[in-house]
Order: sequence, then structure tokens, then C-alpha cells
Amino acid sequence: MTKPVIYLDNNATTAVAPEVREALLPFLESQYFNPSSSYDPARAVRDAMENARESVGRILGAGSLTEVIFTAGGTEGNNAALSGALAANPNRRHIITTAVEHPAVLEVARELERRGYRLTVLPVDKSGQLDARDLVHALARDTAVVSIMHANNETGAIFPVDELSRIVKETDPTIIFHTDATQSVGKLPIDLSDKLPHVDILTFSGHKLHAPKGIGAMYVRRGVRWRPFMLGGHQERGRRAGTENVAFAVGLGVATELARAALPDESELVRLQRKLEREIRARVTHTLINAEEAPRLPNTTSFAFEYIEGEGILFALGEQGICASSGSACTSGSLDPSHVLKAMAVPFTAAHGSLRISTSRYTTEQEIDTLIEILPGVVASLRRMSPYWDQSRDAPKEGVDVMVQDKFNS
Amino acid sequence: MPWDYSDKTRQLFLDAVSGKPGTHLGAIEEPDGVGRHGSIACGDAMEFSLRVDKNSDDPRQDRIVEARYMTFGCTSAIASSEALCRMIEEKRPTPIEALKIRNADITDYLDGLPPQKLHCSVMGAEALQAAVVDWAKRRGVDVDELGITPELLEEDEGRVVCRCFNLTEPYIRRKIKEMNLRSLPEVASAIKAGGACSACQHEPGGLQDILDEIHGKDRGDDERARPQPPQEKHTERTPYQLAKEIERVVENQVRPRLQRDGGDIEIVEIRDKLVYCRLLGVCATCAGSVQTLRFVVEDALRQEVDADIRVISV
Repeated sequence: MTKPVIYLDNNATTAVAPEVREALLPFLESQYFNPSSSYDPARAVRDAMENARESVGRILGAGSLTEVIFTAGGTEGNNAALSGALAANPNRRHIITTAVEHPAVLEVARELERRGYRLTVLPVDKSGQLDARDLVHALARDTAVVSIMHANNETGAIFPVDELSRIVKETDPTIIFHTDATQSVGKLPIDLSDKLPHVDILTFSGHKLHAPKGIGAMYVRRGVRWRPFMLGGHQERGRRAGTENVAFAVGLGVATELARAALPDESELVRLQRKLEREIRARVTHTLINAEEAPRLPNTTSFAFEYIEGEGILFALGEQGICASSGSACTSGSLDPSHVLKAMAVPFTAAHGSLRISTSRYTTEQEIDTLIEILPGVVASLRRMSPYWDQSRDAPKEGVDVMVQDKFNS
Repeated sequence: MPWDYSDKTRQLFLDAVSGKPGTHLGAIEEPDGVGRHGSIACGDAMEFSLRVDKNSDDPRQDRIVEARYMTFGCTSAIASSEALCRMIEEKRPTPIEALKIRNADITDYLDGLPPQKLHCSVMGAEALQAAVVDWAKRRGVDVDELGITPELLEEDEGRVVCRCFNLTEPYIRRKIKEMNLRSLPEVASAIKAGGACSACQHEPGGLQDILDEIHGKDRGDDERARPQPPQEKHTERTPYQLAKEIERVVENQVRPRLQRDGGDIEIVEIRDKLVYCRLLGVCATCAGSVQTLRFVVEDALRQEVDADIRVISV
């Protein structure tokens, strides 16, 4: 248990950056004042919040600081985006989203469907990509909101949100286009003023970019019709009631500054990603990389090792101090493999054997090398146990595909 | 999900994966009985094989002396398989005695399993039963003598209730009774039925109906009325003729022009005066594709069909 932890699950959460921690601590100590108060000491707190807002605005390329609202995280932002967009357009009853959204969008959309809205869920192809034509066909006269994520948390696949939002807004400027950018802020350059002028609402979470859990932000473009979700106070210009989480907002400000400064170094992450994928492929047969053909985040690789089960891989890696994640059924607590891999029609010889590696700027090459050293042995030992694997040929047993096909057709 | 496995489960898994001596991974050559349960599509599967010391007078007195498994599955599925083989080799039971091993015995041996992993132990017990039935056939023992209800042998053929995991009604009924499962979550945890798409839970003849019938419960009025989505008002104002005109102009004027340059165009959709199209061939990758759409396609349509037409690139 004293092994050093190799943390390769940064799409789940990230370590708080030391600079972030240092910056936020005073606001848990002497700077505890309510930013809404009128006395002098509260002014410094208020100023710190506004500085943080400026930093967040900068990483998003926001045109005005009034467009940035602090939230408790990505899930709140997504709830607020969808519900607020619908509330502002009561005559419109149609929602469009995709099959691979995070549950914080997909489940909200499904709940809204239960409450009487119409919902269109756009499919993805085998490489996890959308067909813009499906979006065109789905747009309706009463479409209120289109919510399409920027980058997928499981596969790292990036959607062309610039193009998709343009199609939506050129069709009907009243439709609100929302993107869940939880996995892309800090990993991809984002410029809402210049490169993404058609995105109305963008949401993200702080703890994916080395800020603490429990803070996030949403961008609502000036002039967009949107109703607040959290009511009961004038904070955030009446758009998100509740006394501000000052310390964490300050932390988020610093985290976004750090991420912005580190963005040019993303090429290092790409190098590690390429090395990892090349080396694992060379050492492990029957390995797929989910969404390989799609443009992907530089920090995410979703492997699928055929004929074994992902939870066993995770457990064995965990024993070596390596933290990763899997979309296998047994990991999720449900009995179904991840909805993302299912939507991509990943063959089920592979869907159960998925392993997601997600790095951060703190990941070292040595850590990736350790993974490259350990992972092939883990896969081999689990395949040795699999009734579908022929040890002597180091290949799947003959007829497994047929058997699986029969099962599928029955 | 955190791994709340017992130390015993963790250890058995790690021993098995590392191939520690004394573990039971593998298949017996020329076995006296083989049984399988699960499938790769369902996320876990086990193949169980056994060898007996044959009793020349009475095959029913055969004793199982060796057990092996091949398992596709998670940590607890592999640990359950290993546990089953150990239990059997420790006791050296007759095959008929081995039938008494239930999933609860495997769970006990593992010092418990998280509830959502119970199905892993069930898989072991089921594969063992199948192996014993196979042994009986090979040794000429009357299957009836095994004390297994005939439905066990036929349950592969019953009506499929849970389509995700291909589970039949006779199998589900037997397991509900055997394990005294009382609720839908219990059924899903123990045998996976209804645990994936959940469509079979509340459909007529589905899991809830089977549970109610077995436990003699009234269905009650728990059908939650869902608000019906509002009917889409179909204000049928599609100007069919307009669309036809647009298609005609694209066909006769626009396409030939693009094709001369090695390109082409696909109309994705026409919606009133909005025309969604996609440039193909060299046009698709041309840096001036936006201009092409505007000046070639949009201008032609505006002149020939309607001045309000807008072209959107897809």
C-alpha cells in the first residue's frame, strides 16, 4: 500500500494545483467577508472574485465579464443551461442532444422529456462522430435548445461545435446552442468571441483543471434569452442566487490562468498519448482504440482489449498503484457497458474490456513508461483466464465471433 | 464504483491472475463433465470442467477430485470461480452432493460479495450444475436422480424475458424461488435480469409480473401516469412546389457547373426557403467553399426560384 500512486484518471478529477491552493487559502482564513457586504473589508473579497471572473473570461475568450457566472460545477451548469433555455422560450417544446453526452445533460434531457418536452437524441457513428445531416433533419420549428458536448469524457472525441452551432443559429437564431465543455476547457483553445461565435451557453467544471471540486462556471452570451435556475438572491447579477463560493472561485481563477499558460505545452501530452498508444498496440494484440478516427483530446485514450473484462484490468492495475477508469459494465455499478461505447456500437467482445487513460500536465513520461511496462502483462494474464481466448495461438478461440453473433441474433 | 471486496475476494483474484500454484485456472483434458454459463455479450461467462474418481460399481458414488475454470469477467467473477474450485476439491463431493453448493456458499467462502456482484457467484453455481448434468449424461446416470427439477434442463428453451442477457422465464422463475428474490433490484443484482435496458421489468409478463405471481402480491396502482408529450402540431405548409423548383435548379444549373470543376453538391434538406447542402469532391475541401455556396448556389436559387432563399452549408 506504500506504492506511489500513478494517477491516470484526470477526466474523472484532477489534483488541486499548489498555486491554486495557496491562492484560495486566505479566503478561508482572514478574508472571510461576504462579497455583497458594504463595509470596506468586503471590498477586497469582491475584487478578488472579479479578478477570478476576468481570468475565467479570458480562458473562454468571453467578450464581457457579465457573461461569466460562477456555479457549483459542471452538473449545475448543465441543469441551468437546459432548464433556463426552456424557461425563457415557453412556446418551444423540443430539445436536441446527443447519445454520448454526460448524464448531467442526457439525464436532464430525459427528465424534461418525461415532463412533456420532445427529445431528439442524435446518434454517433463507430468512431464516435456526429453526422451534421442528422442535426439538420432534427431541427424543428419548436426547437428550443440544442446541447452538444465539446469533447467526450470517455473517448476524448471532439465534436465540431463551431460548425454545428453555426448550422443551428443560421437556421434559427432563437434556438439556444449549449455546449458542455467540461472536458475541453484547459485542454483545447476556446475562443467564444472569435472561433465559437454561435455558441450561446458554455458550461464547465473547475475540478477537471486543477481547481477544487464544487466550483465551475457558465458562460451565457450577452443578449441570449435565458432564465436563471437558482433563485433567491441578487448575486451574480441575479443570474445565480446564493452567497458566492469565494475561495473556490478565486481558486478557479488561478487554475484557468495556469491552464491557459500551459496550453502551448499540450504537444507534450500528444507525444505521450502517441507513445502510449503505439507501445500498447505493439505489445498487446486485439487492442482497439475507441474513437481513434475522430479528432481527440490530447490527454485521453480509451483502449478496448477484446475478450476480457475491464474491471479486472482496473483492479490489477490498482494493485500496482495505477489509477485509471473503465466503461465496462462491472465498473459502472449498472450491468450495461457505458452508454458512450454502446452508442458507438463498439463490438461487445471489446466494450466490456475498455480502459480509459487520461493524463494531465502533471503526468510524467516515467509514469506512462510504467504503465506501458505493466499493462500488457495484466491483459495477458486476464486473457489466459478467458474462455474465449486460445492461449496457444495468442488469439481468440475459433468460432467465438460466430457464437457472439448467434447470441446477438437470438 | 469503489471496490468493496473482502480481503479473501481480493486475494483469490490476485492469486488467480498471477497464476499462483494451487489455483485452478484452465480446462481439464478429457473431462468427465463440462458446464458453461453466461456469454461474452452479457459481460461475464464461465466454463467449468471436472474430473471424477470413478466408482466402478455405482457411478453415483463417483467423487470429484479435480475442478478447473476459464472465466471472462470482473474481479468477483474470477474470485468466485476460484472459490468454487477450491470448495469442491476440499470436500471431494460426489457430483450429486456438489449440486447442493449454492451461490450463497460461494459468497460465504468469499466472506461476502457486494450486492450488485451477487450474479458472479450465481454464475459459478449455474456452471457447476451444468457440468454435473453433463457428467450424468456421460456416466449414464439418470438425470432425474439428480433431483434437479426438469425445468432446469429445459429452461434454455422457455420464453425469453430479459433480452439483454437472454434469460428465459423458467430460469428466472427458478432463481427467484431458489434465492427468494423479492424486488426488481434484487433480481438484477442476483441474476442480472432487467439490469441493463430495464424494458422487461414492467412490461406485461415481465419481471414485476413474475415476482408478483410468485409472491402473490397485488399489482397495486403503482403505474405512474406519465404526462403525454404534446402532439406535434403539423401545420403542413411545406411548399412542395418550392422544393421541386429548388431541386430542379440545383440539378440543371448548379450541379453541372460544379461538376465541370470536379466537384458536386448534395442537398441535405430543403425546409421552406432554407436549403441545407453539402459540397462534395474538390469543392468540399476547397478553401473557397463558403464563397461557392454563396455566389454559385445561393445566387442561382435566389434568381431562379425565390429571393428569400438562404443556403446553409452542412
